[in-house]
Amino acid sequence: MRIVEVILAPILALLIGMFFLGLARKIMARIHWRYGPPITQPVIDVIRLFSQKSVSHGNMFTLGVLFSLACSLVLILFLPMGKICPLSSSGGMLVILYVMLLAPFGIALSGGEAANPNASIGISRKLTLALGYEVPLLVILLAVMTHYKTLSIVNIVSMQQNTSWALTSLPLFLSGIAYILILPAILGIRPFEITQAAQEISSGPMVEYGGSFLALATIQHGLNLFIGIALFVNLFLGGAGNPPIFFLKMLVVFVLGLFINAALPRLRIEQAMRYLWRWPTLIAFIGMIIVLIIRR
Amino acid sequence: MSLELLLIVAFGGALLSYLFGKICPQIRDPFAVISSVALAVMMAFLYGKTMESPFYFGFLGLPLILRTNMLAWFFAMAISILGALSVIFSWDYVKDRERTDFYYLMLLLANASMLGIVFAGDFVSFFVFWEIMSWSTFLLISYNRGRALGAGMKYIIMSIVGSVSMLIGMLSLYAIYGTLHIATLSKLVPSASSGYLLFLFILFGIAFAIKNALMPLHTWLPDAYAESPTSFNGVLSGMLTRMGMYGFLLIIYVIVGAARALNLGPGIFKFNYILAWLGAITIVVSTFIALLQNDAKQLLGWSAIGQGGYMILGIAFGTSLGLAGGIFHTLNHAVYIVLLFMSVGAVQYRTGGQRDLDSLGGLIKRMPVSFIGALLGISGLIGIPLTNGFVSKWLIYKTLILEGHPFLAFAALIGTWGCILYCYKFVHHIFLGQLPEKYKMVARAPFSMQLPMIILSLVILLFGILPGIPLKVINTIGTSFGFQSLNVTTWGIASETGTLNTINIFAAVVAACVIVWLIFKAGPKAVPVAQEDTYAAGAAIPKDRYHYTVDFYNPLYRMISPYFKDFIGGFCIKLAGWTQNVCHGIRQMYTGYIGHYVMYIVLFLALLIFVQLKWSLW
Amino acid sequence: MDRNQIIKWLKAPAKMGHKYSLHAIYFCTGCGIIEVPPVITARWDAERFGVIPVATPRQANLFLITGYVSVKTLKAIIRTYEQMPSPKFTVGFGSCPINGGMYWDSYNTIKRLDKYIPIDGWIAGCMPRPEAIFVAVTHLWTLIDKDMADGYKRYRSNYHLYRANQEQLFGELEWPPLFPLEDQVEQIA
Repeated sequence: MRIVEVILAPILALLIGMFFLGLARKIMARIHWRYGPPITQPVIDVIRLFSQKSVSHGNMFTLGVLFSLACSLVLILFLPMGKICPLSSSGGMLVILYVMLLAPFGIALSGGEAANPNASIGISRKLTLALGYEVPLLVILLAVMTHYKTLSIVNIVSMQQNTSWALTSLPLFLSGIAYILILPAILGIRPFEITQAAQEISSGPMVEYGGSFLALATIQHGLNLFIGIALFVNLFLGGAGNPPIFFLKMLVVFVLGLFINAALPRLRIEQAMRYLWRWPTLIAFIGMIIVLIIRR
Repeated sequence: MSLELLLIVAFGGALLSYLFGKICPQIRDPFAVISSVALAVMMAFLYGKTMESPFYFGFLGLPLILRTNMLAWFFAMAISILGALSVIFSWDYVKDRERTDFYYLMLLLANASMLGIVFAGDFVSFFVFWEIMSWSTFLLISYNRGRALGAGMKYIIMSIVGSVSMLIGMLSLYAIYGTLHIATLSKLVPSASSGYLLFLFILFGIAFAIKNALMPLHTWLPDAYAESPTSFNGVLSGMLTRMGMYGFLLIIYVIVGAARALNLGPGIFKFNYILAWLGAITIVVSTFIALLQNDAKQLLGWSAIGQGGYMILGIAFGTSLGLAGGIFHTLNHAVYIVLLFMSVGAVQYRTGGQRDLDSLGGLIKRMPVSFIGALLGISGLIGIPLTNGFVSKWLIYKTLILEGHPFLAFAALIGTWGCILYCYKFVHHIFLGQLPEKYKMVARAPFSMQLPMIILSLVILLFGILPGIPLKVINTIGTSFGFQSLNVTTWGIASETGTLNTINIFAAVVAACVIVWLIFKAGPKAVPVAQEDTYAAGAAIPKDRYHYTVDFYNPLYRMISPYFKDFIGGFCIKLAGWTQNVCHGIRQMYTGYIGHYVMYIVLFLALLIFVQLKWSLW
Repeated sequence: MDRNQIIKWLKAPAKMGHKYSLHAIYFCTGCGIIEVPPVITARWDAERFGVIPVATPRQANLFLITGYVSVKTLKAIIRTYEQMPSPKFTVGFGSCPINGGMYWDSYNTIKRLDKYIPIDGWIAGCMPRPEAIFVAVTHLWTLIDKDMADGYKRYRSNYHLYRANQEQLFGELEWPPLFPLEDQVEQIA
């Protein structure tokens, strides 16, 4: 049973991630009053990219991409999706937090070896942005962990199943709001699409990726969307008892995120930092203090 | 095997290598390597033994005692292995320099005196070895002359302040209890009054905090790390700085006892809160200052200050989990910081001493082993899962969260996330990006440099994947302090509040990597291209100017640079300037004209007479 | 999607991928680029054909030469073309790349672009309407189906000739040959 879960979970995540990418393009097109591509377009792109010749700038260039995708796949195993959670007892939230950082780190190492300043600028922006959203995110996660007195995400989900969603409970309400405010930055969608800004820095770290490298990076992007939303659903929307409901919740969150994505222009990096370190951080800190007061 | 023999080998090795250097220079290097490796091997045989024996009688009627137990063995093992690796690394690094005999003498002396410190069974020998360590370190820091002299001076002044404060503490202990034997003191001191304990903590704390570079007393460290010869940095950053941690463990856990020591003081001004908050401030401030550095060794120096904060945070709460985290982090930090300094050293050796991050680049193509060393080093420093730093940081975070200190945990976590930024900067600026023309023909690091780097890289992975090996030893230390034993398995820690299982993570990562690699292999083969063949909007790329390094995190720098400066360091420099001015003013008295001196004498006599007439003191 | 399509997908997924996922590098070579923004945005919506603009040649497989090509621009065009991963398709857009167009007598404009890089198809007109781009795309689909969009193969097999033409125009080029020149000369000899 465990082995089936281990195999099933990444495949499901892969399918849903690709579906999200396709859905994003379709919904964006409809918001722009366009017809839009077929919903399978990202899959077609990936097939095309896999069949193309690619260039490599060195071993780290190759290994970085592979490592990044592998770590995203591993991360799926730590996240409970409904009842599916193959590696629930291997370190809890802290491991998830750390493994989450491996995927961008792999891309950063790989992009760095491309010897292209566009890639370096993109990575510098990505890491700066990560520091920007990690400040409120860490406060939020610590508030959740302190409130439920556990490090295990499975326990957090089951406690919410027994009582109410964290987003609707009094102590964690503000934390949830802060998480929603930084969710676009975690997912890397507009207005925080600073890393890949195609028009300024030629898609940033991906500037030298072609062929199968870009295919893997696209898949990784899909998984990244999946992970960001799944974490939110698990922490604040009470997870779910079974996978379909879990995916439904994810879909709702994602579509809401898309509306923001379609409506807002891209921020500059210092505007993004100023925003992230002001309102979400303030709200998250107030949330944390409330949690501490209630705990006492 | 007796402890005296060990110390004789250690000190004798140092002196003999100096003599060999004078008599027959060819066998000096092999001898230094053999003696330090032999020391490490002998140390391994000491595992699990506890013994205590006086080695010298008659110093003020106090016996000088050597003793060993698990804590001492743990530190001694780390010291001797890292010392041996540093000696091997030095082989090629200092070959063409002058005064190499002196260098080896001081390097081995520093190592030997550290062993003396951890084996010391009483405070007199502790103090003697402590001073030998401080002075030999001072001489090595200022080995390069020039700017290094200033850095060494800074170090030795702060060290002396620490030593004097420790000496006062020792004298007060001697005056009250009449003994300086650590085992006897640990029975007597816990029943002392709170005020006296606080007094002791402040005096010893100053000495150890200076050595461990805790935040208000850290100013010596960045310059000392940056200016000392890089082959010595291994010893300096790995264990020598962490003698402060050993001191803290000694005074808090061995002598006073955790329960009494950490609950000292009222309410939120309890001793452990203050210690923990100092640690947290150290982490955050030094992390952000490290971000602003452009010198590879300064950057590592600031990061070492921050990592010291984690160790303090770990031991500040007196739980078995936190203690294990703190001690384990001391070991882990030593391993990866030595590796990072060796990697910088290899780059310096091949590029003519270049350590300015903005003028390097692309060396991954020329020095792959150094790159792998640096990569694993920063992975450990960040605490990426499956490297050793992760396990110890996990233990520390878990302690903080479960003890209900989310703000301290936040400081620790944000330190890690800032650490990613400067770690990436470190690797990116030196090894990734465009290879400058002048480094096109750089050769790989010599074998004597590659060997220690390979060994340490393997250690990082070993302790990351099977953390149970060192954790079992650390667990024994914890139980010897009277803590509950942890449920340590070979691949992690099991407990009801959250389990760590590194072997699961390892298996998952390996499996995922293999699968992804197979998928990748199924596609068409990637064509390797030269670094010049890169996108530049259709233009041929400019040589030597296509690596984005200067002001790497520019928007962030602009936001943080007004707030994160080394204010304390600046204050110390200013203080030194004022002192100099005052002394210069006083020096004006010496005019060389005899009449003035007569006038000073007459004025002084007049003052004495006036005082006597007014208050009749005598 | 009709049944023929499914069979085609199963037979040659790579070829179908190349057909329906054309990522165009937007390289503003001339005035023709003014027609591209309406094509890729809401008015004409090229995305429904799977055509989207990408920022770097590494990610692209469709190269639109939009408008006249000056000698200086040609250098960048060649460089960009060589950086694109094959299979790759080039389309000349407007009269100018075909024969110089209204700049037929300019000393500084390339009159015959396909002397320097292979072109898979041309869109005539000055300016062609955005619809013409879609006609070109559907035409390119049939060419790909029949394996006739083989510019990249021609470039590979005749590289020494292309390179000779390029060097004749520019003198010494700043980058090394994409393919080893000696082999090809030997093969032919």
